[in-house]
Amino acid sequence: MSWVRLVAARLHGLFERKRLERELDDELRFHLEMQIEDNLEAGMNPVEARYAALRSFGAIEPMKETYRERRTFALLETIGQDIRYALRTLRKNPGFTVASVAVLALAIGANTTMFSVVNAVLLRPLPYASPEHLVMLWTGRSDQSVRESRSAYWNFEEWRRQNKSFADLAVFDPASATLTSDESAQRIGVVRASANFFTVLGVQPFKGRMFSTQETEQHQRLAVISYAFWQTRLGGSQSAIGANVELDGVPYQIIGILPAEFRFPRLSADVWIPQTTSPDWQSIQSARGTGSWFVVGRLRPNTTVERAQAEMDAIARRLDEQLPASERNLGVSVVPLSFQVIGYKARLALYMLIGAVLCVLLIAATNAAGLSLARSASREREMAIRTALGASRARIVRQLFTESLALALISGLAGLLVTLAGIRLVLAIRLRDISRLQQLGLDPQVFVCALVLCLVTGIVVGLAPAMTIARRDLRFSIQEGGRGLSAGVAVRAMRRALVVTEYALAITLLAGAGLLIRSLWSVESVHLGFRPERVLAVQLSSPAFSAIQQQAGFYNRVLERIQSLPSVENAGIIENLFINSVSEQTLTTEGERQGIFERLQFREDGVSAGFFRAIGTPLEKGRFFSSQDGPNSPRVAIINDALAGRLWPGDDPLGKKIEIGPPDSAGPWLTIVGVVGDMRRRGLENEPIPQVFEPISQNPPRLATLLVRTSGSEPLEMMRTIEAAVHQVEKFVPVYGVTTLDDQLSAFLTERRFQTMVITAFSGVALLLAAIGIFGHIHYSVATRTQEIGIRMALGAQAGEIFGMFIEEGLKLSLAGLGLGLIAAFALGMLGRSLLFGVTSTDPLTFIGGSLLLIVTTTVASYFPARRAMEVDPLEALRQE
Amino acid sequence: MAVSDSRVFCSLAAGADVLQGTLILLVLRTLEALGPLHGYAIARRIEQISEEVLQLNQGTLYPALLRMEQEGWISSKWGASEKNRKARFYSITAAGRRKLAKETAEWRRMASTIERFLAFDPADLAEAQG
Repeated sequence: MSWVRLVAARLHGLFERKRLERELDDELRFHLEMQIEDNLEAGMNPVEARYAALRSFGAIEPMKETYRERRTFALLETIGQDIRYALRTLRKNPGFTVASVAVLALAIGANTTMFSVVNAVLLRPLPYASPEHLVMLWTGRSDQSVRESRSAYWNFEEWRRQNKSFADLAVFDPASATLTSDESAQRIGVVRASANFFTVLGVQPFKGRMFSTQETEQHQRLAVISYAFWQTRLGGSQSAIGANVELDGVPYQIIGILPAEFRFPRLSADVWIPQTTSPDWQSIQSARGTGSWFVVGRLRPNTTVERAQAEMDAIARRLDEQLPASERNLGVSVVPLSFQVIGYKARLALYMLIGAVLCVLLIAATNAAGLSLARSASREREMAIRTALGASRARIVRQLFTESLALALISGLAGLLVTLAGIRLVLAIRLRDISRLQQLGLDPQVFVCALVLCLVTGIVVGLAPAMTIARRDLRFSIQEGGRGLSAGVAVRAMRRALVVTEYALAITLLAGAGLLIRSLWSVESVHLGFRPERVLAVQLSSPAFSAIQQQAGFYNRVLERIQSLPSVENAGIIENLFINSVSEQTLTTEGERQGIFERLQFREDGVSAGFFRAIGTPLEKGRFFSSQDGPNSPRVAIINDALAGRLWPGDDPLGKKIEIGPPDSAGPWLTIVGVVGDMRRRGLENEPIPQVFEPISQNPPRLATLLVRTSGSEPLEMMRTIEAAVHQVEKFVPVYGVTTLDDQLSAFLTERRFQTMVITAFSGVALLLAAIGIFGHIHYSVATRTQEIGIRMALGAQAGEIFGMFIEEGLKLSLAGLGLGLIAAFALGMLGRSLLFGVTSTDPLTFIGGSLLLIVTTTVASYFPARRAMEVDPLEALRQE
Repeated sequence: MAVSDSRVFCSLAAGADVLQGTLILLVLRTLEALGPLHGYAIARRIEQISEEVLQLNQGTLYPALLRMEQEGWISSKWGASEKNRKARFYSITAAGRRKLAKETAEWRRMASTIERFLAFDPADLAEAQG
């Protein structure tokens, strides 16, 4: 029970602090007065009596401290005291406080913004049950030439039958279909999926049900729709379930609606239908090797990705024997689904950005530490008096940390405002490839992150002054009276170390920014192989249920009409100008005897006769397609430089014949009639790929992109006219996805621009902070060495020498930082190599340029305080003593 | 207060809690024998009764008094001193008397044990074993 009483007594002490303190003083005064009176009576003189009384009592302040500690919860009370004192100190030094808070708030805000992005993109789990067990299975291994290809249905079935690592495997194949209703036609995303797809992901329907394995085996035409589709197309109607949707002219019955939050990485789908409803299901089922199916699997709980990979390796080797020769030795890779959300490069870029933003925080904290160190030097006398009055060293260090933590917490609060602005900014930029960014926002985790950052910052900022205080013997400071010379060796060494650190971090960031800027320039000036200016891109698909000949006719009629429009220079058709991936296929060339075939990555497209002229791709040899290349004339092809060089290096490809597929396939032989220049169709940063083009009349695409080069400066204004022209040809054809090639190209650059912009901004801030750091250091150095300067001048030193002395001090420090930072920058450059484009990670121009920039900044920053040193009047400086 | 003064006190601060346990016993005994007293009187009595042998910093008395009050062994109340000045008078409580009895018995046992040790003669041990 006694502890209850103790706690009660101490709580009482906590709340009645003032009164109890007064009582203690009264009691002690009474004690001393009594003693003095007794001493006087004993015959001492008044002074003696007082001294004797104090001596026999012992040290008053430490005793009071013990008394107070007993009276209440000492720590609580002194922390309260410390905080009040810290806030008072901060208020009394508005210049220091505002400068530190502004710098730290920006840095903390930038960090929490970055954390929000990482949290949304990398850390927050996928919206499924235990997402860490979900993986994708690909044909091909990342260490081989074929990387992560989609697989054939047969392979999936064998994997599913033979494995022991997975609870289950499911397949899906995203496509698109024309949704037809009474008045309009629209292109929508449709995914063919196996019945267990949703079970594997662990997703329950919002309404209705999913299709069953039995139903898929019976090829039933059923559909599960997305929540968004239900809302926008069906108005959220309760009777949606049981209704039909018509896809490419075929009705499917809606049986279920997915929950609103359901999404699959990199897939935008409105309707999910059984995989068995493909029109050519029989041939799909029997194909082996690579194919069009994505495979997703759920690992058994007790298994790892590595073990599953090992098992799949063995299965893949066994299956090789049953595959056609050209499909062997591809292997299988098991990749966590989270890697599907955000790829390797984007991950690396994010890590680099996190590193950069932490660098900025570190520099900001170092700067604030420098400021508080300068201040702590002027507070030495205060600290000394506190020590003399009985404050222990630990107590003073705690006080200093309380101050720096208070500073950091205030900055953190301001930093949250910066975060809000930062999140807005990031959302406004709309990163194309960072797919989960729409979930960005302030959440508890972001607050925790901000708090942790505040604590770390507070400790970093408080560390330097605390260390120097702890090391010094403060008792001497009192006698020195806080004079300049007492600013000890420890403080000066610490200040130098801080400046060097800032420079090392700043040059690291500068070099990184330099490399990224150079990369961006290289990317922007890359040779595309076509001219994107003023080209409007419109998606359209041929009428859903028309035969091949009709499709080609449709495309040609559309082109004819478009080209007759005023302010249209030229128009062409291709399936998609920009493509995401290239798969590997077998290509047979005419050989001396039977034919030579090889597997290689190439792309095969049907294009309109005027396509190359419209897009501005030059003809190197032979001829373009013409209207003579009709469906019944001999099959022809145009290839690009890359493929010509690959198949017939140093030889003329015109007139040669190729067959797409292995020699024994029934594909037609195509005669090469022309060679065109290479085009960068996988974005600006990927090399052109080998290509085969066929005329649309001989191999029409199901979907087409209509490319229209306009003569007006604003191609998007042509949109209505073009839509009307298409609908004059065919009424119910969906026209959608209108953009310009310039916009599409620019979208490829969004992420790189964002990275470059952020790192450049960070390095600018770092440079500024480093400059402020060196300015502060030299300024302080001049201020504390005024007497020394006076003596030097009195002894005959020229003003120029004094000036040089301080400039040299600044340069020495910055060079030391530069040396350290360059080493770090080289290492980081190697690590982030894959993010660069067109520059090496040791690009001399960048490194020399960055170093020069830093040295110039140092000189400018040191100039002003060094000028002041020159203006010192020796007589006055010496008189100060 | 002048800086130099406080530095003198600093050097005297050490060793304040050495006699903590004993101090409690002395205070309780003094209060039991003499009735309510203020802090200065307690300090003087302890010095007188112990015939100036126990020279402690008087200041250490007050934290001890506070603790004893928190434990409930003594109680305090403000009143007028013999010279009619405001002073805080401490008196022993029932719990304090029990504590004193316990501590006294403890102390006596301890003292007699040590006394036996000091009076110990090696010859006795040899006899007992022999």
